[in-house]
Amino acid sequence: MALDQISSGANEDFPTLLRRKGMLDSARMNFDQRAGPVPSPQGVWAPTESTTILAFKFAGGVLVAGDRRATSGHTVVYDRADKVLEIDRHSIMAIAGVPATAWEMARVLEHSFQYFRRTQLQEMSVDGKVRALSKLLRDNFGFVMQGVGMVVPIFATYDQTSEPAARLYFYDAMGAQFEAADYAATGSGSPAVRGILYYENTWGETPLQKLLEDEAVAIALRALDTAAESDTATGGVDRSGKIFPIIKTVSRDGITTLPEQKIAAVFKKSVA
Amino acid sequence: MIEEPYRWVEAIANRREYVETQLAAGSPIAAVGYRDGILILTLGRARQKIFEIYDRIVMGAIGHPGDIERLRMAAIELASTEGFTRSAADVSLRRLAHYSLSPVMKTAFEQVYGPPYLARLLFAEVGATPQEDLFLRVEYDGAIATNGATLSQVRQDFAVLSATRQSTELMESFLKSALLADATLESAINSALTAWSVGHMTARQDGTREMPEREAISKHLQEQLATAGIEAAILEREAKTAIRYHALSDEEARSSIQQ
Repeated sequence: MALDQISSGANEDFPTLLRRKGMLDSARMNFDQRAGPVPSPQGVWAPTESTTILAFKFAGGVLVAGDRRATSGHTVVYDRADKVLEIDRHSIMAIAGVPATAWEMARVLEHSFQYFRRTQLQEMSVDGKVRALSKLLRDNFGFVMQGVGMVVPIFATYDQTSEPAARLYFYDAMGAQFEAADYAATGSGSPAVRGILYYENTWGETPLQKLLEDEAVAIALRALDTAAESDTATGGVDRSGKIFPIIKTVSRDGITTLPEQKIAAVFKKSVA
Repeated sequence: MIEEPYRWVEAIANRREYVETQLAAGSPIAAVGYRDGILILTLGRARQKIFEIYDRIVMGAIGHPGDIERLRMAAIELASTEGFTRSAADVSLRRLAHYSLSPVMKTAFEQVYGPPYLARLLFAEVGATPQEDLFLRVEYDGAIATNGATLSQVRQDFAVLSATRQSTELMESFLKSALLADATLESAINSALTAWSVGHMTARQDGTREMPEREAISKHLQEQLATAGIEAAILEREAKTAIRYHALSDEEARSSIQQ
């Protein structure tokens, strides 16, 4: 660790600091060599990708869920991927897209929020946090254009001082942020999920925002299972391997990761 | 001037005197271990003096705000980049102080044509067990003192920072006798407040080596508490999240005061 004598943390955000120290490289846009699929010994190389995440507001805050499958082309690479990541005490980022980029983004984001609080002696605002993720996506757009490294995240947070307190955002790969009123879903299985969430919210017995936790978990499981029915890249619920989606909620008290037994119980009762 | 060794030694001595004078008005800071972690506490009127550096590291400082700020930023920057590129578990106070802060502060202090850092720093890092807690003081000249066992001291569960050497020693000797093993937070707050009072009183009495009377200490504390705020923070040993730092408000700290 070398001490930098021209420290200027006062007007610098964490990604800038990393770049100054050569610890973070953005892809350079290079349209002349627009890369297509790269041949490899196994055929055509495709990046590892993860799919189908969803989030919606319910009575207790925001619920964020993601299936566990990671794929590369037609190959299932991993069936226990965690796509729902805690960024700070009240923020969750869920990722669809290339995990190599997404997990790095989550790490940058996590450290950005902490770095801001520690150096500036105040918490970063919700708008600031939402914008920070947008900037990271924008910086990553070079990779997206080269056909690798696309990330389409969902960001959920709970801010007591704002109205509404539960906040939910989704992004496109260029970094545009959209605030969702009730629900959001991204990834290859998202059309099915959006259909279900729209249906439940509009004609279901209870609108999503009034659901209790168990009911919300049941809807999330049903939606992911439906997505997996037609989308091979989505894992849904692995009945034989007993692998369940990751579900987290964020409320006034912070983030709760639902224990697997609880998800299994809801699954047994309302889904299977 | 630099070419002549005697002049250089003289310049350093002058500089030491100058820095000590600049630091003489600083309000003492006490960091003490308690049952569930580490408490760091001071009394102040204007500026914040206790800062979160990283998940398990806290810093307290006296000195010039500009210099404190530069050192604080540097410490946060180093800890954050280390935690990012490796992992939070690889961020260690020992490395931060010994390999980064101390050499830089020593160099600045001894280069007599440049400005020294007008700051004295106190760090604490909470470990998995009380035996792994680290308390560490970095002086303006880069000298480091830790709570570890040395030739002249047994391992201590506290560290202090004060304006003068005498008041520092008196605060230490007070805590050595008063701090209970396995103390509650409440008891730690009271010990730290009393230690602060000892330091604050004796820093203003030139060259005193006498421990003030118990009653005088508590009277002084009461007088100061009437006009100054308590600034305190804890590092919790067991917490649900990686971040163990938690600032205590003035009210929270005051509610623990035993008359």
